[in-house]
This record gives sequence, structure tokens and C-alpha cells, in this order.
Amino acid sequence: MTVPRPYALLAELTYRCPLHCPYCSNPVVLKSATAVTAELTTDEWRRVIREAAALGVLQIGFSGGEPLARRDLADLVHAAREANLYTNLITSGIGLDDDRMRALRDAGLDSVQLSFQSDDTDLADEIAGARAHERKLNAAAKIRAAGIPLSLNFVIHRRNIDRLPQMIGLAEMLRAERVELANAQFYGWAFLNRAALLPTREQVVSAREIATTAKARLAGKIDIFYVLPDYYESRPKPCLNGWGQRYLTVNPVGDVLPCPTASSAIPDLHFENVRARALDWIWRESESFNRFRGTEWMPEPCQSCPQKEIDFGGCRCQAALFTGNAANTDPVCTLSPNRAGVDAVLGDLNSSSDHACDWTCRMNPMKLPVSQ
Amino acid sequence: MQFIMRMLEIADAAKPRLARGVRLQIDSTTGKSVLLFAEGILELNETAQEILTRCDGRTVSEIVLALAEEYDADPMALAADVRETLIDLQRRKLIELA
Repeated sequence: MTVPRPYALLAELTYRCPLHCPYCSNPVVLKSATAVTAELTTDEWRRVIREAAALGVLQIGFSGGEPLARRDLADLVHAAREANLYTNLITSGIGLDDDRMRALRDAGLDSVQLSFQSDDTDLADEIAGARAHERKLNAAAKIRAAGIPLSLNFVIHRRNIDRLPQMIGLAEMLRAERVELANAQFYGWAFLNRAALLPTREQVVSAREIATTAKARLAGKIDIFYVLPDYYESRPKPCLNGWGQRYLTVNPVGDVLPCPTASSAIPDLHFENVRARALDWIWRESESFNRFRGTEWMPEPCQSCPQKEIDFGGCRCQAALFTGNAANTDPVCTLSPNRAGVDAVLGDLNSSSDHACDWTCRMNPMKLPVSQ
Repeated sequence: MQFIMRMLEIADAAKPRLARGVRLQIDSTTGKSVLLFAEGILELNETAQEILTRCDGRTVSEIVLALAEEYDADPMALAADVRETLIDLQRRKLIELA
């Protein structure tokens, strides 16, 4: 099999975060080895960045947790620019004061994705589990003033989906270039809190209409990107454009993942670490990157399906979470023998008006020593 | 109709330039030119690359003339290609017209 080159690296700098969103995609339980190992140092990240660029990577996303929790963020942005990478910061905005904004701009930061929980302060702060909304508005103003392109990212779920028009209004007010309205994907904390987060069918239909209308109205001004909750789809998403094809993630302690949620969703897969192996070897040779690369691993109904080069069998993590076997067809697909599991979740929600609304807020890792 | 209206938006005197947050560089893996932007990567064909490397404050007419000279081609024939490429890039918000 010819191994493709990767285009984008997601650098999860830390699991530390001042927010406690119940849909966080970070692992709910950190593996014991992960929990006691320190975060990668500045020099280790610099090496990862150089190795990624040599492998063909053109884009880097600095994420977390909250990447601003790392005091060396601007140094890492600078290192990425030196390696000719396009630099994205994916942030809550908490901790973005004038000094840090200036340092990031001077380091050459290309673009910022700023998360919001809602347009409404009280609801936003309740979802974030912190007094965060007003500080995010300030952060948006600083990003604008620095002249850096701004995207607002809203994670959509049952509690905020009915406020889509107001959330789009906030993006207009803040003069964002782009707004992402992405329904929560059910991994990590969101999988744990799914009963409280999954929107009803009625909400999903109405939200899609609102997003389509706003997209037309704001064409040429703000790009609107709406992502449906995939449980309501009949074919799976082309997750990652195929396993080990374009993307790689390095987590805070240096594990290299084909997908950011794979380490918790697929416990039987062993992931390599940048402290022990070169990134090039991990991308090309490791078992974790090769297990689901290409189409040979696919079972039926994928193997004989004309869609197999289009959706790549869907999401390995979702298959693992629903069926216990990551090699199965994504159960969102109506051709999957396991689709009944998804339908049962939708049936429970949509047949009753008495919806669970309690969720468990994301907690910070307690044992993770901080290297900075 | 939409297409014709958009074509009219690009005047000969317009000065195309890369939009904010968009970078043009060589992909060292392939040797080809790419546009890098927040949402992705666009690998450029030769026409787009030749046009974009000349979007340095020159007008559309000046870019057409420069390309016609470089490739010893008819400027009238080239102008349509240049406009079509610029329209496509503008629609994707990758260039702005000053």
C-alpha cells in the first residue's frame, strides 16, 4: 500500500482548560500512564513541528484543552511559521490579554477559531461551567483589532439549538469571517452526556432550515458551516477523509493519534509516542496508523459497497463505541447490521417529552504535572 | 445570468490581491503552488499559479498583458481565462479586488 502524505497536524498542547463543557472531546478518563506523564516540553513540540513539516504537513491547529494555558504558545506558533506551516489557534479565548494577543500576532498567527457556548450570557456560562462569555466577547474584539481572521465555533446541542438565529446574529455583530455551527459529536464527554445533549428530530429539522436561510442571506459576507448530528443521517460521515490519509493528532503527552478521540474510543489499539519514535515512522509504519488505512480491512457491507471510497466506512470510533469493534461499519449507516443501536437512541429521545437534562461537567486532569 | 453579473464585477482596472489570512506558497512535497487558508488547502493549477504570483498590485489588464508577453499569446484570448480564474478565487473568498 502506498502511504499518503499528511496535510494537517492537530497539536493538543494540554488537557488543562478553564471551562467545563459537557461535550468536550477530550478523554473522560486519562490512561494511568497518560495521567502521570508530563506534557511535552517546548523543545519536544518544536521537534514534532519540524518532523511534521518534513512529512508534508502544511497546516497546524493548536488546540487542547485550552492552548493559552501553555505559556510557550507564541513560541510554538513562531516555530510553526518557521517551518512554513499555516497556523490556526483553536481557543476559548480565556487568557487572551493584550500582551498575549500581540505576541501571537508577532509570531505570525494566521487564523483564530474562537469557541462560544451560546449568544446568551447566562446560558453560555451555565454550559461552560464558568463565567466566560463576557471574556470571550473581549477576546473577539482583540482578535479583530489584531487583524487576524476570526471564525466563531458553536457546539450545538439540545440546550442551545433553538437559539441558532441569535448565535448567527452574534457572529454578524462580531464581524466574524466564518461561523461553524456543529452539532456535538458523541465522543469523550459528549458520549457520556449524550442523553442530555442530543437534539430532537423537530429541533434538527428546524435548525437546518434556519442555517440554510442564513447561509443564503450572508453569502459573500460570512461563511456559515452547519454540521448535522450524524445520528440523524442515513449514511456515515467520511471521517478524517479516511484513516491515516490526511490528518494526525499529537496529544499533550506525545501520543500520536490518527484521530483525536481514538485513544479513548478504541482501547485495544496501541498508540506510539513521539518521545520513543520518529513521527515519520509512526505515520508510515505503525500498527495504529495502518490498521484502518485504505479499504482492505473493511468488512461487509462496506467491502462491496460503491460508497466505500466516498465515506471510508464512516467513523472507527463510533463503530467501537456502539459495537465494541472499531472495524465494523459505522452504525449510523442504514446498511449496517448495527443501525438498530442508533435508532434505539433516537427512539428513546423522540418518543417522549420527558428528556434527561442533567449532564456531567468536564473535569480537569488532576494528576498531570505541568512542565511549564 | 449570475455568472455574467459576477464577470462584470471584475473591472480591467481592479487590482486583485490575496484575501486576509490567505498565503501562497510552494508545497515542498510536490513542488506545486498551494493556497493556505483557515479552512483548508487549495492546490493550484498552472494558470492560477501564474496569475496569483502576479497579483502584486498590478491591475487585471496589466496581469493579462504580462502573461501574454511571457507566453507569446493573444491577450484577448488570455483575458477570458484570467477572469474566469479570478472569479472562481473571489467566490471562494481567497482573493479581494482593491
